Amino acid sequence: MTGRLDRWADPPLLVLASLADEPKHGYAITQDVAETMGVTLGAGTLYAVISRLEAQGLIEPLDAVDRRRPYRITAAGAEALAQQASRMSKVASLAQARLRTGLGMAGA
Amino acid sequence: MATPPARRPGRARLARAALRLYPPAWRARYGSEVLVLLDDTGGGLAAAMGLAWRAIPAWIWPPRQLHDRDARMRTSLSTVLMTGAMLAGVCLTFAQLTQFQGYETHGFPLVVGSYAIFDAAMVVCALAAAVGGLPLWLVMLRRARREHRTRETAYLVLPLVAPIAWIATVAAVARLLGGPDGVSPGVFLAVTLLGFGAAAASCAGPILAMRRLRPRGPAVQLAVRAAGVATAAIVVAGAASATALTGLSVVALGYDGYLFMLFVPTVAQVVAVFAGYLAVVAALAITAIVSARRGARAAHSR
Repeated sequence: MTGRLDRWADPPLLVLASLADEPKHGYAITQDVAETMGVTLGAGTLYAVISRLEAQGLIEPLDAVDRRRPYRITAAGAEALAQQASRMSKVASLAQARLRTGLGMAGA
Repeated sequence: MATPPARRPGRARLARAALRLYPPAWRARYGSEVLVLLDDTGGGLAAAMGLAWRAIPAWIWPPRQLHDRDARMRTSLSTVLMTGAMLAGVCLTFAQLTQFQGYETHGFPLVVGSYAIFDAAMVVCALAAAVGGLPLWLVMLRRARREHRTRETAYLVLPLVAPIAWIATVAAVARLLGGPDGVSPGVFLAVTLLGFGAAAASCAGPILAMRRLRPRGPAVQLAVRAAGVATAAIVVAGAASATALTGLSVVALGYDGYLFMLFVPTVAQVVAVFAGYLAVVAALAITAIVSARRGARAAHSR
């Protein structure tokens, strides 16, 4: 059932969240997303997302180091991520509050 | 930043192969990074399948930041040239089979009008191709000769040689094998297929020359704009031929052109051939429209 609610784990959002604290290259992003968010991003998915986010100006490439090119979140990307996080936070708070009420009523 | 484990190059052979499915511009920008990631993560079947699947949107919606204006215009020209030639060939074959075999369509305004539109659209298409293509062809030919590039010169001469060779073949065949009623259906089919081959060779020549010479500038822009007009005209011709075909299928099932003598003695087979024709025209037209639109956007972008 919870599998149907996986929209929160949109790869672009995960990549933006991963880049929110510091620039990362492809491997570092996949590791970070897997460890902190429990989602495995394949190479195809990751670079499809990177190319799209880059086209939208939400991330930007830095100079490559040892053939690995790090990406950095832009100001526009940080703003978009903050807005989305705020919306998700409101939904999460609302859902938790209503679940508590509902569970309380069910237990009464 | 996470440090990858020791590299295991070579384990991701399948995924590396899948990477070849991506557009050249995409590969040029992200290819080396993906290869490093595959080496770091080991690749495997899942990675290969994921890469292959994601190659489809990379072709359909090419990332804007990879936009190479001149390369986009050249690719668009190549696609429009080949699909347009094939579409023109299919339409002309249709016209030959239906319009020039003596079938009387008088009294059927839809069919007669469609043929008139078809003829006019083909003329517009030919004019646009000549006006837009000739300057680019001359620019490339001049450069190929100046730089003594024999192969490119040969490629550029193909649009002249291939049709002449085909016309000479047709004349010889008609002289040797033709009777009072023309040639047999089998010979007609062979000559038609040969014509498609000649058209493909005529297009392949300039396409290969463009890939090697990489022309830029106003001649390419003019050719792209002309390709847009030619595409619009050939699509109108295709639609007109489809309308005429629909009209014929409604009013003229007794038509006894070569096509019917050859392959389709029953009504069901006639409908199948007509449907097949419409499907081919639609597929070629959509491909040409999409590519012409991308080329036009590149020509107009700053």
